[in-house]
Amino acid sequence: MNFRPTIVAFLCNWCAYTGADLAGTSRLKYAPNIRIIRIMCSGRIDPTFVLKAFQQGADGVLICGCHPGDCHYQEGNYKCLRRFKLLQKYIAQMGIEKERLQLEWISASEGKQFSELVNNMTKTMLTLGPSKIKSSLEVEYIK
Amino acid sequence: MEEPRIGVYVCWCGTNIAKMVDVEAVTTEVGKLPNVVLAKNYKYMCSDPGQELIIKDIKGHNLNRVIVAACSPRIHELTFRNAVEKAGINPYLFEMANIREQDSWVHTDRTEATTKAIDLVIAAVRRVLYHEPLEKRSVSVDPATLVIGGGISGMMASLEIANAGKKVYLIEKTDHLGGHVVKFDLTFPHLSSAKQMMRPILQRVENHPNIEVFLQTEIHEVTGYVGNFKTTLRNKDNEGTELKFGNIIAAVGLKPFDPSKIEEYGYGKFPDVITSMEFEDMLGTGKILTKYGKEPRNIAIIHCVGSRNKKYHEYCSRTCCMAALKFVHQIRAALPSTNIFEIYADMRAYGKGHEEFYAMTTHKQIMFLMYDQQERLPVIRQANRSDDCNMIIEMDEKLSGLPIEVPVDMVILMVNMEAHENVKDVVHAIGVSLCGNQFFIEKHPKLDPVATTTAGVYIVGTCQGPKDIPDSVAQARAAAARILATIEGGTVPVEVTTSFVNEKLCCGCQTCISVCPYSAISFNEIKKVSEVNEVLCKGCGTCGSACPTGAIKCKHFTDLQILSEIEGIMSMSY
Ligand code: FES
Repeated sequence: MNFRPTIVAFLCNWCAYTGADLAGTSRLKYAPNIRIIRIMCSGRIDPTFVLKAFQQGADGVLICGCHPGDCHYQEGNYKCLRRFKLLQKYIAQMGIEKERLQLEWISASEGKQFSELVNNMTKTMLTLGPSKIKSSLEVEYIK
Repeated sequence: MEEPRIGVYVCWCGTNIAKMVDVEAVTTEVGKLPNVVLAKNYKYMCSDPGQELIIKDIKGHNLNRVIVAACSPRIHELTFRNAVEKAGINPYLFEMANIREQDSWVHTDRTEATTKAIDLVIAAVRRVLYHEPLEKRSVSVDPATLVIGGGISGMMASLEIANAGKKVYLIEKTDHLGGHVVKFDLTFPHLSSAKQMMRPILQRVENHPNIEVFLQTEIHEVTGYVGNFKTTLRNKDNEGTELKFGNIIAAVGLKPFDPSKIEEYGYGKFPDVITSMEFEDMLGTGKILTKYGKEPRNIAIIHCVGSRNKKYHEYCSRTCCMAALKFVHQIRAALPSTNIFEIYADMRAYGKGHEEFYAMTTHKQIMFLMYDQQERLPVIRQANRSDDCNMIIEMDEKLSGLPIEVPVDMVILMVNMEAHENVKDVVHAIGVSLCGNQFFIEKHPKLDPVATTTAGVYIVGTCQGPKDIPDSVAQARAAAARILATIEGGTVPVEVTTSFVNEKLCCGCQTCISVCPYSAISFNEIKKVSEVNEVLCKGCGTCGSACPTGAIKCKHFTDLQILSEIEGIMSMSY
């Protein structure tokens, strides 16, 4: 079967989720393999969320928050950025390519940017192939 | 906990969802899940019969959890929360799956979109299993209101509130009240005097016992929450003055576009190329004269300057067409034999009495010349000595299809209305968002155009988008009415999705205290644990992700809820 990468995305309610909604209202089209989870602020991203998504078989994890300076809660996105840097290093040690975890800022008006982002990330996942964790999960399923 | 009994409702949204998502398949698939007592689909879940359906099922089937898969929760979460509450279920035992904005509208493959919808609903089912009822909380409302911006919108809102006997603090950045309108000569479409209209309003605002005006003052930071905001003024006259208020109205307006950015028009180079605002000033002096002190024999009015053009602003500024027609009447009255050229891109006469005003203006012996905003802008150049005019406008006249030259002595540029450079400062101070055009975003584009997503903060006038005087005033008075209603009510509901510390798990490391942006967490020295002040907490959840022991629970966004959502969200991918 053709490889269909799965991306789990965490979007903050105020900017990114609104931006993703705008992509919809503007009827922009993007790859269907993304699954969006709404959180109030990117600062809520607990490392376990990201690891859990990989563990469940996500090929990529995307975090989107408000642009620097625009966080609805002042500075949650800065905290997210710091955690993201550490997390990228951490997953690399576990054998997950760091490109599989991405962080982008999307404002409430950036529906177009969001749709492009999803398409680009999907492309990256296609070149990387299935994540190792996912492959091993699949083996288990076959057994 | 009682055994979860979940009802799932999949909305067709007419054809909006049903066209791209096989709602029947989604219903069947999720109907198989454990704890899902029933799964149904219906044309319009948000309609009255749709909501009735939920209410009836909750009672008839003893449901204690409800999921609606439909549009974005940003649109109808509240609608459905209210519906389930009517049937006696705590509104937080409800969850929405966004299968329209983030599924049917953005995908083109029906199978993929259906798979995704199933995944999203399964995730919602997994999540809702761990939802907990949350009790509503409310706080008292300080009866004072802060109004930022002393233009017509800000003043009208202030008067409305003050007349009802409530205190208003009116903050104005410049040294005078009245905004742009006070500088206008006449208003359209009735050609009545703006100054005469404004004079009594200004007097009432300045002398009103309930309105305190602060000129040359800007707002830098607002703390607190709905019902109980606070700010400290920081300018020289009122340094350190502390204001307390329950609601905020932003009426910061817009500013005229700087046309020197458009090379074709030579603004700044030719002294007799002026902006509409400068022409208003000139009208105020009672004389229309060129920079050489002569009466212009040819005047051109160019529309859409900086508007409806991707290079500058894509949006329509809405008021300039009518203002341009208004100028025709004023010029004609003052200079009966001057040639007037209306150089327009499209004539927009959408408002009450506007089309009639346009028709009336066409009888004023003027020449309408059309240009194509997307193809080529008119170009203004210096006339030769031998020419009988000051400047020449070269343009491709669209209706005739001919390149023509228009002799002019004065050009009025109908400039766009755009956001102030420092609008971001206000936005950050009061916690609202801007759209791509730097206009303040309203809570709901149709059903709630005066409130914002921040409780207690309202937006009125042009800062929400270009509009004329009646629209601005309508919005201002609407916001005032909303605020008066909350003051009258005495209390307002506040965020209940705050954080909570489980004292048994807290190790006292105080990491949460260092990450909280609202100083809502403090350390209890006796118990040696952190404590959250739920009134200050806004529920961002940053503490929850920083807590090393999992002692902090972010209500409605708990680790368990989110992790189960993740577990469900890829169900169909294998
Ligand atoms: S609210 Fe968007 S990142 Fe904090």
